[in-house]
Amino acid sequence: MEEERTNADNPLKVNRRHFFSQLSVGIGSLALGSLLIPDLFKGSAEQLAAQPLGIPHFAPKAKRIIYLFQAGAPSQLETFDHKPTLRKRMGEDLPESIRNGQRLTGMTSGQEKFPLMPPAVKFQQHGSNGTWISDFFPHIAKIADDICVVRSMHTEAINHDPAITFFQTGSQISGRPSMGSWMSYGLGSENKNLPSFVVLTSRGKGNSQGLYSKLWSSGFLDSKHQGVLLRSGKDPVLYLNDPEGISRSDKRHLLDQVSSLNKLHHVETGDDEIESRIAQYEMAYRMQMSVPDVMDISKEPESIIKLYGEDCQVPGTYAANALQARRLAENGVRFIQLYHQGWDQHGNLHNEMAGQAKDVDQASAALVLDLKQRGMLEDTLVVWGGEFGRSNYCQGKFDPENYGRDHHPRAFSIWMAGGGIKPGINYGQTDEFGYNIVENPVHINDFHATLMHAMGLDHEQLIYKYQGRRFRLTDVAGNVVKDLLA
Amino acid sequence: MVSNSAKRGINYVVFGLNVFLIFCLLFESYMVLPNGVAWLGRWHPVILHFPIVLLLIAIFLGLTGKKVPWKLLMIAVLSALITAISGFFLGSESGIKGDLLYWHQWMGAAVALIASVWYGLAGMGHGDGTVSKVLQVILIGLVGFTGHYGGMVTHGEDFLALPKNRKKKEIPENPLIYEDVVGMILDDKCVKCHNSNKQKGELLMTDLAELRKGGESGSTLIPGEPENSEMIKRLHLLPEDEEHMPPEGERPLTPSEIQILERWIALGASDSIRLGHLDPLEPLVGLVRDLMEPDPMEKWKALPAVADTTINNLSSDYLTVTRIASHSDALSVSAYLPPEYRADDIVDLKRVANNIVELDLSGLPLGAEEMALVAVCTNLEWLELDRTPITDAEMAKLQGLTRLGLLKIYETHIGDASISVFRGMKNLKSLYIWETGVSPSALEELKKERPNVHIDYGIDDGTKAFFVTKDSISKTEK
Repeated sequence: MEEERTNADNPLKVNRRHFFSQLSVGIGSLALGSLLIPDLFKGSAEQLAAQPLGIPHFAPKAKRIIYLFQAGAPSQLETFDHKPTLRKRMGEDLPESIRNGQRLTGMTSGQEKFPLMPPAVKFQQHGSNGTWISDFFPHIAKIADDICVVRSMHTEAINHDPAITFFQTGSQISGRPSMGSWMSYGLGSENKNLPSFVVLTSRGKGNSQGLYSKLWSSGFLDSKHQGVLLRSGKDPVLYLNDPEGISRSDKRHLLDQVSSLNKLHHVETGDDEIESRIAQYEMAYRMQMSVPDVMDISKEPESIIKLYGEDCQVPGTYAANALQARRLAENGVRFIQLYHQGWDQHGNLHNEMAGQAKDVDQASAALVLDLKQRGMLEDTLVVWGGEFGRSNYCQGKFDPENYGRDHHPRAFSIWMAGGGIKPGINYGQTDEFGYNIVENPVHINDFHATLMHAMGLDHEQLIYKYQGRRFRLTDVAGNVVKDLLA
Repeated sequence: MVSNSAKRGINYVVFGLNVFLIFCLLFESYMVLPNGVAWLGRWHPVILHFPIVLLLIAIFLGLTGKKVPWKLLMIAVLSALITAISGFFLGSESGIKGDLLYWHQWMGAAVALIASVWYGLAGMGHGDGTVSKVLQVILIGLVGFTGHYGGMVTHGEDFLALPKNRKKKEIPENPLIYEDVVGMILDDKCVKCHNSNKQKGELLMTDLAELRKGGESGSTLIPGEPENSEMIKRLHLLPEDEEHMPPEGERPLTPSEIQILERWIALGASDSIRLGHLDPLEPLVGLVRDLMEPDPMEKWKALPAVADTTINNLSSDYLTVTRIASHSDALSVSAYLPPEYRADDIVDLKRVANNIVELDLSGLPLGAEEMALVAVCTNLEWLELDRTPITDAEMAKLQGLTRLGLLKIYETHIGDASISVFRGMKNLKSLYIWETGVSPSALEELKKERPNVHIDYGIDDGTKAFFVTKDSISKTEK
C-alpha cells in the first residue's frame, strides 16, 4: 500500500496513458457544457436577437413612419433657423473662431473669403410658441402647433451620398440595411397584402443629386425587408399585372407549382433566400389586388384634393406622393419613404428654394392636417428634413442678388409631427451665425434611436449578426432624446 | 478500503465536474438551458445542506489535527461541486442576476473549486500541509458568506435585519421637487449609509441643510452647478471606480434618477419648487412625470394569457392580430377589406375578446354581428370604426366600453342618439367625429360637459379656405 502510493500517486508521475484519459474527461466535460449553448455551431442571427422579432419591445407610441425626405439638403437658414445677425453682418468674413477648423467640400475649400450671406427670405413667428418659419412655407406655418422643429441636428458627412446614406442606414458607408428595413425586420408588417416598406420619389426643378436604390436596400437583412419603389403612373409596380389571357386562378396554379419546385430546391440547398423568394411571389400575388386599390385616388373627395393642392392629381409629383403616403399609412404600411429631389442650392438660391418650397409646402402641411383629422397623427410619425444643412457664407463670389450656399454638417433643421413626439415645440439652438449648435444637439444616431423608441423598439436590442459581428441601426452610438417625447 | 481504480474513477469525476463548472461560469451568457436541465437546478436547495455540513466537519477534523477520512472529503467535495452546478442552473432561470445572486454564485463556485484543490492536495499526500490548512480557513469564511447570501436571495435582503418601517411613498399630484421626488430617490438609494447612525464620508443626506454642508470630500452639492457637485460627479464615475456612488454591491441609481438630481441642482437645488412651477419644456417635467405615471404594460398584466398559436390561428392575410409588445397579452387587431368579406372572420375574435386592447375595423362593411363582438371587448382602449355603415342602433351596444380612450367614428351614419354612449365612456380622451349625422349643437354640449375630451370635427374652415385659395401650384400656373 505504502509503496503503491509513492509510485502511482506521485503527482509528477503521469504516464501518457493517464494523461490522455484525464484529458478526455476534461474535454468530455467541456463538450457537455457546450451542449447548453444552442448557437455555438450555428451562428443563426435571428436566434441571437435579444427580443422576439416582429413585435415591439414595449408599447409603441407610433405604429408607422412617413419620412418626407428633402434630398439635396434644404438650407436651414431659409427654412426654420432665423438668423438676423447674418443680415446685419452681410459680406463680413465668417470669423475663424466660429468656423473652428470645419472641413470644407471641394467646392469652397479653395475660397479665400467666406462672406456671410443674409437669409434669402423673410421670417415670421407662428403658432402659440412663436415658431420661426420662413415665408417660403406659408402652409407649414399653419401647422406650427402640430410640429416639433429640431434646429440642432448634426452629422459628420459633408457630401450628399455619404450624408444621405448615413441618414437612411446609420452609416456613411453603404451596405447597411435602410431604416425602413430595420423597422420591417423588427416590427413585421401591419398589412400582409402590402410591403411594409414603400418608397415614392419626386423631383423638383432645383439642382438635384442622384437617388439610388441602395438607400432603401435591406443590406444584410432578409430581402423581404427591402423597400418597394412605387412608380408613378399606370403601373406603380412594373410587371405586377398578369399578361393578357392569364386568369387569376391560372396564376394561382402557376405560383403553387413554382413554389413546390422552390421548396424542393430549398430542402436541397438550405438557402434561406429561396424562402424569401417564395414569400415575395406570394406578396406580389396579393399586391395585384391591393396595390391598384391603394393607388387609386379617384375616390378621394374634392375637399381632400383641394387640401393637398391640385398638383396632387398629377402622378409623380410630391403632392401626389404625399396623398399616396396617407393612403398607404391608412392601409398599414409601416415605413413610407418619400424623396423630393432638387434641394442642392449651390447657386441661384432665391429662385430655386422658392420653387422647391412650392412643391412641398402645401402637400406636407396637408398631409399632417389630413392625418390629424383622421386621428392618425396619434400613431403615425411624420418627419420632414434633408441630409445636412447649408453654409452661412456664400459659395463663389459675393453677390447679394444671386448666391448659393455650400454644404454644412454642424447644424441643420428638421421637423417631426405626431407619433409620440411633443407637438408645437422648438428644440435645440444654434449660435447667432447659425453655424454651431449651442443647445441640445441631436446626432443622426440619436435621431434614429428616438424614432425607434417611438415605434416601441429599443435601439440597443434590435440586432442582426452578420460576418461575425452584431449590427444595429445605431451601431455603437445613439441616445433616445427623451425631451422630444410627449 | 477503496480500490485504486475506483479512486481514480472518482478523481476523474471530480476533475470533470470542475471543468464543467468553470466552463459554465465562463460561458454563462451564451447558455440556454433545456427544461430538463433547468429542472435539475430545483434540487439546489436540497443538496446544498450536504456540502455545508460535510465540509465543516472535514475542516473541523483537519484544523484540530485529526486525519480527514478520504471518503468524507470525497463526498463533501462531490456534493459541493454538484451543489454549485445545480445552483448555477437554478440561477440562470432568474434572467438578470442581482448583486446578491452574483456574489452567491461566485462564492459558491469558489467553495467548490477550493474544496477540490484541497481534495487534490490530500490525494497527493499534502492533506496536512500548511496550504491545506489555509484553504480550510478560507473555506470556513466562504461557506458562511455563501450561505448567508443564498439566504438573502431566497428570503429577501432584509430577512436578518432588525424590523423597521420602510415603505416607498407615492408621489402626490403637483409634487414638491425636493421633498417628494429628490428626497424619495435619496431615501431609497443613499440614506442607508449616509444617515446619523452610519454617516459614511461624514456626509448626512437626510435633509437639505446637511446636503448643502457636504461631507469630507467637500461640496456635495453646488446649486446651479451639477457638473461641479461631488454627488453628481461620483454618480457618473464608472461602476468599477472606487469613488463611484453607490458603492459596489448597492443598488445604483437609474439614468433618469441621476438626471433628476442633475436638473434639480441645475435649477438651484431649492426645496420650494413644485412640478407645476416648471416650464413645460424643462426636461425635469418629463422625468418626474415618467416616475409618476404607471407603465402601461403594468395594467395589462391582469389580462388572461393568450398563446402564440391562438394568435396565429386567428390571423389571416386580411386580419393582423399581434401582441402590443413582447411578453404582453394585450392584443392589437387590424382588419383590412378582403376580396370576399365574411363577418365570421371578425366574430371569431371572440376567443380573445378580453385581450383585445386596440381594434381597427375601419372601412369594413360592418353589421350587427361584428358590433356584438366589439361590444364584448370590454378592455378596448382604442377603437376605429370610421368609414363603416354603422348607425345609432349598433353604437348603443357599446355602452360597456368604459376603458375606451380613443374612438374614430368619422364618415358613419350615427346621429345624436349616440351622444349618450360617448357620455358613458369615462376614459375617453379623443373622439374623431366628422361627416356623421350628429348635430353640431349636440357635440357642443358634449364638449362643455367633458372639456378634457379632444373632439375633432375635421380640419377647421379657416385653414381649409386658406389651403384652397393659396394653392401653391394651381392648375392655371401649369
